[in-house]
Amino acid sequence: MQIRPAIIAAGRTKFGEHYEKEPEKLIEEAWLRASQEANIERKNLDACYLSDYFLPITNKLGLEEGFLSELTELHVPMEVTRSFGSALSNACNAIQAGKYNMVLVGGIEKMTDRWDKIRDDLMLLEDPWSYYAGGTPEANHELMFRAYIKKHGITGENLEKLNVALAQIAVKNHLHATKNEYAQYQRRITVEQVLNARKEARKPLGLYDFAPVSDGASSIVLTNEKTAEKFSDKPVYVCGNSSATDYLSFSARADMTHFIVTQMAMKVALKTAGIDIKDIHLVELYDQSTFMEMVSLEDLGFCESGKAWESVYESCQNYKGHYDIAERKLFTNTNGGLKADGNPLGATGGAQIFEIFKQLRGEAGERQVSDEKELKYGCTLELEGFGTKGYVYILGRN
Amino acid sequence: MSSEPIERRVSYLGDRLRGSRCQICGKEYFEIRDYCGDCGRKSFEKMSKIDLFYDLGKFEVCTLVSEPTNKFTKLGNYFYGIVSFHDGKIRVPGRLTDKIVKCDENIDLSTLEGRNVVPRFRRRYSVDKNDVIPTISLAFTLADEYYPYQEYKIAKPSKEYDAPGIVGYAVYTSRFRIREESIERSVPFIDEDSITAAVEAGKLALIHSGVENSEVGKVYVGTESNPYAVKPIAAKVAQVLKLGEEDEDVQGVDAIDTEFACKAATSMFKDATSLVSYPKSNVKYAMVIGVDNSQAAPRNCPGGELDFFVGYGGAAYIFGKYDVIAEVEGWYSCTSDTPDFWRRDGEPHPMHGGRFTGDPAYFKHVRKAAKKLMEQHNLQVQDIDYFVAHQPNPQFPTRIAKELGFKDEQYLPSLQVVKFGNTYSGASLVGLAAVLDVAKPDERILVASYGSGAGSDAYLLVTTSQLADKRQRQKMSAKFQAESPFKEFVDYTTYRRLKQGM
Repeated sequence: MQIRPAIIAAGRTKFGEHYEKEPEKLIEEAWLRASQEANIERKNLDACYLSDYFLPITNKLGLEEGFLSELTELHVPMEVTRSFGSALSNACNAIQAGKYNMVLVGGIEKMTDRWDKIRDDLMLLEDPWSYYAGGTPEANHELMFRAYIKKHGITGENLEKLNVALAQIAVKNHLHATKNEYAQYQRRITVEQVLNARKEARKPLGLYDFAPVSDGASSIVLTNEKTAEKFSDKPVYVCGNSSATDYLSFSARADMTHFIVTQMAMKVALKTAGIDIKDIHLVELYDQSTFMEMVSLEDLGFCESGKAWESVYESCQNYKGHYDIAERKLFTNTNGGLKADGNPLGATGGAQIFEIFKQLRGEAGERQVSDEKELKYGCTLELEGFGTKGYVYILGRN
Repeated sequence: MSSEPIERRVSYLGDRLRGSRCQICGKEYFEIRDYCGDCGRKSFEKMSKIDLFYDLGKFEVCTLVSEPTNKFTKLGNYFYGIVSFHDGKIRVPGRLTDKIVKCDENIDLSTLEGRNVVPRFRRRYSVDKNDVIPTISLAFTLADEYYPYQEYKIAKPSKEYDAPGIVGYAVYTSRFRIREESIERSVPFIDEDSITAAVEAGKLALIHSGVENSEVGKVYVGTESNPYAVKPIAAKVAQVLKLGEEDEDVQGVDAIDTEFACKAATSMFKDATSLVSYPKSNVKYAMVIGVDNSQAAPRNCPGGELDFFVGYGGAAYIFGKYDVIAEVEGWYSCTSDTPDFWRRDGEPHPMHGGRFTGDPAYFKHVRKAAKKLMEQHNLQVQDIDYFVAHQPNPQFPTRIAKELGFKDEQYLPSLQVVKFGNTYSGASLVGLAAVLDVAKPDERILVASYGSGAGSDAYLLVTTSQLADKRQRQKMSAKFQAESPFKEFVDYTTYRRLKQGM
């Protein structure tokens, strides 16, 4: 890699319900935090990459670039994509190509402004036939879970353990969020709560298995290695990244128990970073559901197919802040994940990068993982739709 | 407002579950594709069209939906999952219909997963009152329950008859029933209406007849409960059942809705018979469907007396000259302007002439038509094996049968109103179907329908030897539906809710 992209600042808002704020207030807040930290001025920016899924629908805001220009008085090139991962990917390409020196990558979503229709809107991320057939944003998670159980022949006591393991994922993420001042739900929950919610709904997954609907914004400042040194004494580098694409129709995919986009993106990201998966001890997973977090551990290659729940179950019996996988520590969703930190779609990936950035720099405060000095690499996984696109980023201090 | 171009495309694919198959590698797609994703350019012109409309699927995995998206809320809780066809070559999303999930019901998804399912044609979801009604066949029912899987096998005709007649028929009523005193009535599931019933009945009649869908040159749908004031149900039937030659996305068939209260369909028997007989018509087979999902006012309101008898469903008949199971011997119709039952445009419920509906209306017309037809053919009551009358309630057909001199064994087999309720435009057709289900070859049947407003059509039919031959092709007989252990009884409140529809 000729030019390596470097992150010199990251900022975000609290995720949750921001009824009182216009969308631009949120992105402004995220940008101000990031720019103050790195002492950057707007004029330093050569371009902006913004991500949001639904602003045109939720807030009747099309041509988001224009509203960002109005807000910042910037007239530089700007592009809008759906996910933060996608915006960052474009930004990385531009930095690597040497086209820009410094860019802003921002993500924003305002979902609670359309509370009564947001679940219908979320169906835009799936194939229309599943909407016409009566599908919901949650249904595919449960169908994949059912298919997973069948494929791996998990029954009886093992099935009970798997169910508990998924509950523990939610419990663990809520626990992590108690130390995250930006998180939507900074409170603990119990395994019983998770299990009871499923029982009440009579469904494989319940209320506590799913990430919430959220408002929020996040931003980072991306530059090249050389410029980074001028603004920061501890930049975090994008060592490897990749993305992959799969069918929109979940039902038409060859394998209904895994996300091939995750598998493919991770493979390439590791290769470009030139590292082994064993070098990664910190990971932010896209836990739209507890099942998604579990299956991502397999798809990224941390666990064997059909086995992740065992590691989760064993690690959470006496949880020490990380999963124990093959005698290695894996700190997972230290910000509370989508489940507890919140999931304002377009901004979510930014919060993942924010978390890895802070942890790698030893600036994560109360939730700083104990062996920060050993942390060389952190990894994020963001998905668009139900595994239709997958973005993997491997960040490192060196 | 829904978007009409999208609606056209979605229903074109989704009503019939159309797809494509690559003739090179065999890969299948649930969509119309010009080329195969795997085989690329070389597969152009090598993609064949398939559809899953008559296929047996497998409910692979499922979950319960208790918080649906906004347009599905009227369905309450339902099962949603993935259905595979052709040994998993093609998979589609689908919801299980015809199932009321009770609040206290214990849910075990594994009891549903892996079971065979049949595509059903239903309303897709709720829309505003002035929107196009969206439909879909991504609604399924379990193949071992009320609606069994049946193969649609096209049979080459073996014999041309001198007189035209019925070559196939089928009854369709819903799985749900309300039982009050000695009468059971069919209740539509919430996603059913007269459009879906017409398609179901036509589909089952095609299966029974073995007639090739492309050889049906005309379809009539008689109903008084079309959810549209303007828009033919017959067009939907023609498109979904692919009647007539398909050219691009247009069917080479004439399709029309008819309305004359409960005789809208029987009136067309003679038109269908004549059409298939006229050598220059170029119509080999004609389909007549009579279905209704008539609405009744609540019991304490004007017109509320209809709420005691109204049912749901109907029947379809295919007429032709080949492999006839019952030849049409003759007919007689009569009409007068009698205001015994009506529904003004825009009104949800019909009004009813109370006592006036009996003697000056039903009895007068049915009596005249039946008697005249028997006179014309010099027939006595004993020359007739079965008598079928329109049946708005159990009393009327019984009284007229007795008055005309028919014995119990002649008219009781036709009396289906106690099993399905009054199916209005479908009522005499369902009665006739029940008779055809049990009749022997060379038996004579007299049918006398009645339509308020008012008129009656009487027909004489004589069964042939092929009646018995074709019987085993139809699992969904009237008896099968009436006696199914899978029919589900609902209370009055549920019945009113389901009847209102989506």
